[in-house]
Amino acid sequence: MSRVITREVVQGLYKRTGTARVDADVAASFKVGDGIRARNVHPTGHTRLPRYIRGKQGRIATDHGVFQFADSLAHGGGKQPQHLYSVCFTAQELWGSQAPARDSLYIDLWDDYLEAV
Amino acid sequence: MSDEDVALRVRALESLLLEKGLVEAPAIDEIIDLFENRLGPQNGARVVARAWSDPDFKARLLENATDAIVEMGYEAVQGEDMVVVENTPKVQNLVVCTLCSCFPWATLGLPPVWYKSAPYRSRAASDPRGVLAEFGTEIAADAEVRVWDSNAELRYMVLPERPADTNGMSEDELMALVTRDSMIGVTKALAP
Amino acid sequence: MNGIHDMGGMHGLGPIEREADEPVFHHEWEGKALALARVALAGGHFNLDEFRHVMERIPPVQYLSISYYERWLEGTVALLAEKGVISADEFSARLTELSGDPS
Repeated sequence: MSRVITREVVQGLYKRTGTARVDADVAASFKVGDGIRARNVHPTGHTRLPRYIRGKQGRIATDHGVFQFADSLAHGGGKQPQHLYSVCFTAQELWGSQAPARDSLYIDLWDDYLEAV
Repeated sequence: MSDEDVALRVRALESLLLEKGLVEAPAIDEIIDLFENRLGPQNGARVVARAWSDPDFKARLLENATDAIVEMGYEAVQGEDMVVVENTPKVQNLVVCTLCSCFPWATLGLPPVWYKSAPYRSRAASDPRGVLAEFGTEIAADAEVRVWDSNAELRYMVLPERPADTNGMSEDELMALVTRDSMIGVTKALAP
Repeated sequence: MNGIHDMGGMHGLGPIEREADEPVFHHEWEGKALALARVALAGGHFNLDEFRHVMERIPPVQYLSISYYERWLEGTVALLAEKGVISADEFSARLTELSGDPS
């Protein structure tokens, strides 16, 4: 629904109103500590799964809870609420054996991006 | 396109939105004022100074950053779901958005141009040590680097290490040592 | 989409250029471009994910050659046209009117 934007609307907006969190009872496919692989997919539409993560194996570090799904909302779809996880990948998994052994990268990935290993 | 040409396109869009009654002019000024004057790294610096001064607050901040930051009154757009990660002598955290420009507006305001630029977005994930070196930031040989690619709707901020020789400093004094870049994780906080 | 925006791991994009005492906006139009995009989002004409995607759809050469807030502006203009709020013809007519150029 569209609405007219007045100064009062703006003042209200810039409170913390825009959470992407969804209050829905959705089962999580993974739990903290699980090993996962990011799906090797190449959607032609919007996705928040970067190329450098696809096909790589990582570990669930945190379950953030249930969030709306950007890939769906960008194309007029529904919220498709699902769990969003912080997933940890080693730098060597992402960038090869010459990457520093201690380093890692964390990225937030929705359930639909992941498969069990 | 010259800046005059772009400015003209902005004016055209603004005049059409106003004419169609979709926005009132004071609302536009209000948004610009918010970003120019109210949202900025001074907010994040106060959060960091509080965390350095108050161990209970720091514990709450690392446990549930969203609530701890709201508790300090910094409640704003692009700060709905916050995560704060702590830098230590052994762990250097660094934040990037490789896909666009996601940034914790509630605590740091709008991102600087370099954060949104192709050079940073391309290399922060794959070569964070190279990026740190480019910023002149030295880390211990045995330190671990953790990159946070903020690609979804959580917003990340780094809690930098408290500098040495700052015992007894007030929160206001500590705040002055906390730079925006240190809360992105590309530099350390300033020495007193 | 496998677009130019998906930059993680790319090489050859140059050194990181920093600016001392960087202002929030470098030109008055930048603040306005941001504000108008926020207005269109808040007005419910499109959502944030659609907005990110329209900027990803800017052709790669143009994506790399225009500034950040130009991407916001062009994304907003393009989406408002797609959503039927401000047509492309209406927008170009207004440009002509404001530039005082009758051609």
